[in-house]
Amino acid sequence: MALLEVQGLTRHFGGVSAVSDLSFSVNEGEIVGLIGPNGSGKTTVFNLVTGFLRPLSGAIRLDGQSVVGMRPHAVARRGIARTFQIVQPFPGLSALENVTLAAFLRHPARRDAEAAAALVLGRVGLGDRKKEIASRLTLMDQKRLEVAKALATRPRLLLLDEPMGGLNATEVDDASDLVRQIRASGVTVVLVEHVMKAIMRISDRVVVMNQGEKIAEGRPERVVEEPAVLAAYFGKHVA
Amino acid sequence: MKRALLPAFLGVAVLAAIPFAIRNSFFLHVCILVLMWTVLGAAWNVLGGFAGQVSFGHAALFAVGAYTTIILYLKGGLAPWWGIPLGGLAAALVSLPIGFLCFRLRGPYFSLATLAVAEIIKLVALNWESLTAGSVGYLITSLPPVRLFGLNVNWESKTPFYAAAGALSVVALLATGWLRGSRLGAYLVAIRENEDAAEAVGIDTVRAKVVTLALSAFLAGMGGGFYAFYFRYVDPDAVAGIGLSMEMVFIAVVGGLGTVGGPLIGAVFLTAVAEAVRGRFQTGHLIFYGLFMMLVIRFMPEGIWGRVRRLTARAAAGA
Amino acid sequence: METLAQSLVSGVLTGALYAMIGIGLTVVFGVMRIINLAHGEMVMLGMFGAYWGQRLWRLDPFVSLLVWAPLMFVFGALLYRFLLRKIIPGGELNSLLYTAGLSLLVANLALFAWTGDYRTIALSYGVTPVRPFGIAIAIPLAVAFVLAILITLALGLFLSRTDLGRAIRATSQNSEAAVLMGIDVERVAIVTFGLGTALAGAAGVLLAPSLYLYPTVGELLIVKCFVVVVLGGLGSVPGAIAGGILLGVAESLGAVYVSGAYKDGIGFVLFLAVLLYRPSGLFGAGK
Repeated sequence: MALLEVQGLTRHFGGVSAVSDLSFSVNEGEIVGLIGPNGSGKTTVFNLVTGFLRPLSGAIRLDGQSVVGMRPHAVARRGIARTFQIVQPFPGLSALENVTLAAFLRHPARRDAEAAAALVLGRVGLGDRKKEIASRLTLMDQKRLEVAKALATRPRLLLLDEPMGGLNATEVDDASDLVRQIRASGVTVVLVEHVMKAIMRISDRVVVMNQGEKIAEGRPERVVEEPAVLAAYFGKHVA
Repeated sequence: MKRALLPAFLGVAVLAAIPFAIRNSFFLHVCILVLMWTVLGAAWNVLGGFAGQVSFGHAALFAVGAYTTIILYLKGGLAPWWGIPLGGLAAALVSLPIGFLCFRLRGPYFSLATLAVAEIIKLVALNWESLTAGSVGYLITSLPPVRLFGLNVNWESKTPFYAAAGALSVVALLATGWLRGSRLGAYLVAIRENEDAAEAVGIDTVRAKVVTLALSAFLAGMGGGFYAFYFRYVDPDAVAGIGLSMEMVFIAVVGGLGTVGGPLIGAVFLTAVAEAVRGRFQTGHLIFYGLFMMLVIRFMPEGIWGRVRRLTARAAAGA
Repeated sequence: METLAQSLVSGVLTGALYAMIGIGLTVVFGVMRIINLAHGEMVMLGMFGAYWGQRLWRLDPFVSLLVWAPLMFVFGALLYRFLLRKIIPGGELNSLLYTAGLSLLVANLALFAWTGDYRTIALSYGVTPVRPFGIAIAIPLAVAFVLAILITLALGLFLSRTDLGRAIRATSQNSEAAVLMGIDVERVAIVTFGLGTALAGAAGVLLAPSLYLYPTVGELLIVKCFVVVVLGGLGSVPGAIAGGILLGVAESLGAVYVSGAYKDGIGFVLFLAVLLYRPSGLFGAGK
């Protein structure tokens, strides 16, 4: 049984179909890339899976159990964590305080939560910047903080929404390594990304969306050569 | 928490000593007002300062407590010292549907909704005459005879009321202090900083807000119950008006949002201004409340006590 | 049937004035993203301006509009320039609390100066209503209605035909883009706040002959004003017009068919209902 199963997922906004009859699954231990042109519905999928939006129809199952209709905090408790495309820290608090708040989910006692938070901060490379106020961190560090917060909830599945946006080449490599380390620690990853280099290097599989629908799926090298995918990105006359 | 223990003990000791040291009835009355406003300011601060949810309708919760206490006494014969906590409980219960309704909204929309809810409750108080006696209100003519430590309690003296007010203030400040150090308090900070991020890391933001509102309502309701007990007269204008809601906001903001001591400082300040001005203007003290609210927001948004703590923290770090 | 028509007409007439008050608030929100809790007091000042104009200088209220509207504009502009401007960067909560303080200050200064006694303006032509089609319409209210329509039309022309008006609309839709396009956003803000205050004051002048006047009337008006702008969608002028009329009619019908005492409550209930089910307003201008 797959860790995450999405079947027939549909969601409209006004008259527009943001996500239309989407189905895919993610197996435990995979890194799956979710790609597609701008506006293809990728972030909406994340919002639907994590409970920030309700689907019009369709099923979303984690370990065989439905999470549809659950509020985001309950989905997090079940084991699905996410990062946001535009980082969402608790701006006035320190990095440690930020992550401790997330660690409370699994460690009710403050001291345990703080200890767990410190560990996670170390893993993402922020160990020496624990006391820095979140809003004053660099973009790369804020993205690390974003991941740390998600990891502190000890998820089974981590959804990363364009983590590489705005990063330079070295930073992209560092981020890619971090994603691999996260998978190695036992967390399954789905990542939405536009930086193709990263997707190609780290994804086991890729799902391609266009205008709310899935148009291709498979190993990254093969998928990017499919005519439907090329047409989606570059227009119909390229292939 | 440990560091606050010594000043807290001193504070309670001073509090307890005052009625023995100073016999002036008017002075005790002013102290009672300060203490009552401290409870109300702390109640508002719990929701507004800690959770960041600005309510303009807290008078409604105060009114529920006041009416509950006075009705239980006049119609049910239940002594006010039981009625006051029950008033708090009633207010907490009423706050549940209010929270359910209003917490779907954020920021200014939430504030406006609380305004509307409070006005509705005031209208109900004015018109549901079989329950609230409408604009006529309820009047306590005599309080029950009670023996404490072998002596008859003298209801003509201010001292028993002072003791009750003192006890309620201690409860309110302790509750606030507990909240600040607790996990719920940390969750409230998270919600204030970024509500979506809070949900995303597993914080049940609705439950946090509802529980906080219930605590806030309990304190406000007990304040209302005390009002009924001390002033012995309750009617919609006295206990459900928007002016009262604004005074609660004022105390918390001027004193210091999100601090434990702020409401006490705010209450002292507010009562001092009201007394200083009472001779010249009747309800004119509200003019100064508005003025000081504007001054504080402009020059000292963290409030008097917030500014003091910031200065002492800086001095401690510098030294 | 007559009662229904009568209620509808009264509702529409009063509704137009509510709309005018609402437009003042919504236009300020659109440009500056602040909700001015002292807006009700601006209406109150207009009301008392009309009252004193008549008491002291025998000015007909509708004539005194020519004096008070520009004065309120200047007053609003000064309020923004010297008081509010520094507060806005502090966030919407701070602005809310600040204007709440301002509201308390102005209302209670008025209370101190003029006492809480209810006052009325007696007009010679206000005594007998006209009766077109058998429906009684008080003349002052009718005049107020007509003037309110004219003012709203003038405002509409200003917003759509003049450069400044367009600048206001642009800033309201996207203040960052407005800056980039070379719009002097500060000037727009000053003018908008002055405009909003002038509209509120003018509505007060127009309403004065038809209501009991007292300094704390702002309390009640501000909540009704919120109903209007939330119904129509914060920031939308057409929405405020529709919202105002809707509220006027709902109150009027409610007073007759539901309960006179709870008439004011109708607005509040409507308000809550809209906030909960269509927070971007019935006409969805978005928040």
